[in-house]
Amino acid sequence: MTDDKDVLRDVWFGRIPTCFTLYQDEITEREAEPYYLLLPRVSYLTLVTDKVKKHFQKVMRQEDISEIWFEYEGTPLKWHYPIGLLFDLLASSSALPWNITVHFKSFPEKDLLHCPSKDAVEAHFMSCVKEADALKHKSQVINEMQKKDHKQLWMGLQNVVSTWSSQEIETTQRVKQDRFDQFWAINRKLMEYPAEENGFRYIPFRIYQTTTERPFIQKLFRPVAADGQLHTLGDLLREVCPSALAPEDNPTPKRQGLDVQACAQKV
Amino acid sequence: MDSSDGYMCKMHFQIKNETVVSRAGTSAHEQTCLPMEEALELPLDDFEVTESTATNEVIKYEYHVLYSCSYQVPVLYFRASFLDGRPLALKDIWEGVHECYKTRLLQGPWDTISQQEHPILGQPFFVLHPCKTNEFMTPVLKNSRKINRNVNYITSWLSLVGPVVGLHLPLSYAGAASQDE
Repeated sequence: MTDDKDVLRDVWFGRIPTCFTLYQDEITEREAEPYYLLLPRVSYLTLVTDKVKKHFQKVMRQEDISEIWFEYEGTPLKWHYPIGLLFDLLASSSALPWNITVHFKSFPEKDLLHCPSKDAVEAHFMSCVKEADALKHKSQVINEMQKKDHKQLWMGLQNVVSTWSSQEIETTQRVKQDRFDQFWAINRKLMEYPAEENGFRYIPFRIYQTTTERPFIQKLFRPVAADGQLHTLGDLLREVCPSALAPEDNPTPKRQGLDVQACAQKV
Repeated sequence: MDSSDGYMCKMHFQIKNETVVSRAGTSAHEQTCLPMEEALELPLDDFEVTESTATNEVIKYEYHVLYSCSYQVPVLYFRASFLDGRPLALKDIWEGVHECYKTRLLQGPWDTISQQEHPILGQPFFVLHPCKTNEFMTPVLKNSRKINRNVNYITSWLSLVGPVVGLHLPLSYAGAASQDE
């Protein structure tokens, strides 16, 4: 795993410069200025936008405020998708900063899950971790962990906050390293497998495309072929999403913004 | 498109008829249920609903059974809405669940209903959490083997989890299952 550490760090510390603007039909008592933030790729919108909410609510009356939701170019943003995923899927070809519109009315019930509290984000995050472990280890590793280990995993992620500048990131570099280590101290157990196995039972993956009806592709996929050869990302794509590799289109799969060719030697 | 993808869908329409009856100063609510119609993605126009008075509210319940390959068990997804599209919140659906099931639900083992994205439709649905399914289905399967009787997994599973969220199976389902085998 050590040779992959750079990739893990790049993903964990990845940021997206974002500009939040209040929807024009929201009722305000005075003009609402846009709000700029560097959003962490690995976190979730409703977890890292407290500052955004406070900023806009300062110019609104309480009675005009209900559940906050975000939209990009008319598409409601699913808070339960990681921020980096939303950006790569919807806005990666547009110029930075990422322009997100903030709403406090007319929650789109048909499109978005409600997010009543931070507990909802934690429950969602943990259920993803559990489902991944069901695939990797038949849930053995996650179930053997104590409640405090689950909490540590969550706290590591929850402490990845939005910042205003890269400078702010640099000055808190030592603190940020702690969060990364705090998270990986537990997560590494979920990434291990017995030496004789040569890999997980199945690889947890989801492939998102804007061109399809269904939200994502998720299938059972073993890390090792019948002949003992290790599968690569290319093998996975050929098996479950061959259209992504059509030579005419030549799209490049992205994993949290990083072009995948460089890191697809071994899944 | 992969032929193994798909889901079973059942839609159930219920008229909530609010009748106020004076009985020693209290009011009583009567629920009139339309017979269940089995629909595999039946469009709404094909279904006739009689609308009598302004106080009647028709609620459309949708139940989908999907298969989770991660947990290798079936999963029940459901949602409810008024005919104009207004969705019901979980607490409104909860009110339609019979008291005896409420106690059972609160005891578990299926102790979580949460809102999640439908993996095929991408829309919000309520889901009965699948991770405990094996726990309560294993005794059912073991017992049927002991008494040497074939059991339809889906029918048994649905008869256990369905009523908890307002989905009632007619007895004919049990009869049909044993006839097939």
